[in-house]
Amino acid sequence: MYPRPIPETARPARAAYVALVAAVLVLWLLPLVTVMLTSLRSFEEVMAGNYWGWPKSFNFIENYTAVFKQTALARYFVNSLIVTLPSVIGVLVLSTLTGYVLSRHRFPGNRLLFALFVGGNFLPAQIMMIPVRDLMVGLGLYDTYLALIIFHTAFQTGFATLFMRNFIAALPDELFQAARAEGASPWQTLWHVVVPLIRPALAALAILTFTFVWNDYFWAIVLTQSDAVKPVTAGLNNLRGEWVSAWNLVAAATIMVAIPPVAMFFLMQRHFIAGLTMGAVKG
Amino acid sequence: MASVEIHNVEKHYGGFHALKDISLTIDEGEFIVMVGPSGCGKSTLLKTIAGLETVTSGRLRIKGRDVTRLEPGDRGIAMVFQSYALYPHMTVEENMGFGLRMAKRPRAEIDTAVARAAQILRLEEQLRKYPKQLSGGQRQRVAIGRAITRSPDVFLFDEPLSNLDAALRTQMRVELSTLHDRLGSTMIYVTHDQVEAMTMASRIVVLNGGRIEQVGAPLELYANPINLFVAGFLGAPRMNFVAGRVTSTNGGSASVTCGGDLKVDFDDLAETPAVGAAVTIGIRPEKLRIGDPDAGTSFPARVRLTEYLGRETIVYADAGDLATSGSDSGTGVFTIQIGDIQPFAPDAPVSVGFDANAAYLFAPDGRTLSAAKPVTQI
Repeated sequence: MYPRPIPETARPARAAYVALVAAVLVLWLLPLVTVMLTSLRSFEEVMAGNYWGWPKSFNFIENYTAVFKQTALARYFVNSLIVTLPSVIGVLVLSTLTGYVLSRHRFPGNRLLFALFVGGNFLPAQIMMIPVRDLMVGLGLYDTYLALIIFHTAFQTGFATLFMRNFIAALPDELFQAARAEGASPWQTLWHVVVPLIRPALAALAILTFTFVWNDYFWAIVLTQSDAVKPVTAGLNNLRGEWVSAWNLVAAATIMVAIPPVAMFFLMQRHFIAGLTMGAVKG
Repeated sequence: MASVEIHNVEKHYGGFHALKDISLTIDEGEFIVMVGPSGCGKSTLLKTIAGLETVTSGRLRIKGRDVTRLEPGDRGIAMVFQSYALYPHMTVEENMGFGLRMAKRPRAEIDTAVARAAQILRLEEQLRKYPKQLSGGQRQRVAIGRAITRSPDVFLFDEPLSNLDAALRTQMRVELSTLHDRLGSTMIYVTHDQVEAMTMASRIVVLNGGRIEQVGAPLELYANPINLFVAGFLGAPRMNFVAGRVTSTNGGSASVTCGGDLKVDFDDLAETPAVGAAVTIGIRPEKLRIGDPDAGTSFPARVRLTEYLGRETIVYADAGDLATSGSDSGTGVFTIQIGDIQPFAPDAPVSVGFDANAAYLFAPDGRTLSAAKPVTQI
C-alpha cells in the first residue's frame, strides 16, 4: 500500500522525490509569501509593478501602523471578536448538550435527530442565503452582531454535534453506569464526568469553530452592511479603493487578520491533536 | 429480614428473552455468587437489581422496599465493575467520595467515609494519586472503596476480578471474603470463574439461558447437582459424561449399559427411569481410579496424555467405544484426576474403575435420577 518508502539505494528516485516535494511546497506557499512580501513594500513600488521581486525597501512599521491609522481595521477586529467569541461558546455549550443526549440517552427519534444534525452540514450555504437574510430582517436583527452570532452558532452546531456525539459515545459505558449507580443525576454526570473527560475535544472544537467563524466572509457580507458591525473578513474588502487600491496595506491587513486563528492553533495545538486522535479514555 | 427479594422477574430485549421468571430471596449478610456460561443472563440480572436495566415484568425489593421503578442511586446499592470504571480525572479520594459528593453530604461526613474505606482497603497512601498511577489490584480496591463509602444495603460485583492476573486474583478473592466477614453486608457477585464461586459464596446461583437452574451452598451444589447442566458446570476438570441405556429396573434400582459393554448398577434412585430410556451417567474425574482392584465397576482404557500439576495428576484415557461427551478435552476420552504423582507411559493400557454410588444418573431430559449424596462424602 501507499506510501511506500523509497529505498536508500535508488538515488535518482530519491532526488526526484525531494525536488518534487520542494516544488510543491514552493507552489503551495507562494501566494502566502507574496502577500507577506507585498505587505512590506511601499505603495510606489507596488504601483511600479514589482509584485514578485524582492522588495526595494522594507516598510514593516509604516505599513502595519498605517493599516490601523488609515483604515477601520481595529473596529473590524473588535467586531470579529464580538461575533466569534460568543459563537464559539454557544457552539461548545450546545454541542456538548446535544452530543451527550444523542450518544447516551436512548429515545425514539434519536437517530433521526442525529441525522438531521449531520445532514444539515451538507446544505450549501448559498441556498440558505435569502431565507436567512429575510429571517434576520424579519426579526429586526439584520446588520447586528446578533444576526451573525445566531447564524454561526446554529450552523456550526450541526458539525459540532457530530463531533461531540462521537467523542462522548467513545467514552466507556461503565463510567456512566458507575455514575448512575452512585446516584449522580444526568446533569451531575455531564458536569462532573463528561465535561472533564472531553476537554481535548472541546479544545479541538473551539479552534475549528473559531477558525470557521473568524474566516467567514459569505455570511459577513450577507448579514451586515455597516462598518460598525462588519467583521474583518468583510472589512478587508472595504480597504480596496474605488479607483486605486493600496495593495501593500491590504496585504498587511490580511496578515493581521490571519494571525488570530493561527495563534489559536499554536496555543492549543497539544489539545487539538489529542482531541482529533484520542478515542476512548482508558483508565 | 430478607435483604433482596426478586419476584418473577422477566426481561426482554426486543425479541431476546434474557431473563425468564427469575425468583430468588437473598438473606441479610449473604454472599451470593451468580455463575453461568456467557450470555446466561447473570450480568443482566445483576444490572436489573442495580437498576441499570429495567425489568419487563416482576418485582424487586431491597430491605422490604419495592425498588422496581427506582433509579439505581435510590436503591441502596453500590456496584463494582469489571473494568473498575474509575473516573480517570479524579484522584482516589475524589473517586471514593464521588457518590457522597453527588448526594451533597457534608464535607466532614465524606472525609470520614473515605478515610474509613481507605483504611479497610489499605489505600491510605494512594489517596492523592490518580487511577492511572495505580496497579490493577489497587484500582480494583479503589472501585470497592467507592462502593464502601456509600454504606449500601447491598454490594453488587460484576466480574470484578477477571481483569486481574492469576496471582492477584487469588489475593483479591481472599480480601473480598475477608471484607464480607468484616462488613457483614449482603453481597451479590457475578463471575464465570467457578473457583470464585466455590470459595466465596454462601450460596451459588447457577444460571443458564436466562433461567435459574439451581440455588444452594457450594458443596451442596457440587455433591447434588439438580441436573446435567449444573453437574457439568461446577467442577474442574469437568465431570465425565457417558451415554447409556437402561436395560432393567427393579424398584429403586436400575442397570445401565454403555458402549464398550460397561454395565453400571444404580441403587436407591430418587426416581426410577423406564427400561430402554437413553440416560447419561456422570462420574467426577476425582472419583475415577486407575488400577484399583477394589473398584466396583471398571473398564479398560489406554492413556492418551498425562498432565502433572504437582499436587495432582490429570490423566486422559481413551476407552475405545466407551466415549464421553462434552469433556474438557473436546474428545471422547475420560478425564481422571489422581491425588498424587503417578507416571504413565503414553498408550499404556490401564484399568479405570469407580464405585457406582459415586456416579450420577441423569434422565433423558437432564434431571438427576441418582440418590442425593451426603455432602461430607466429598
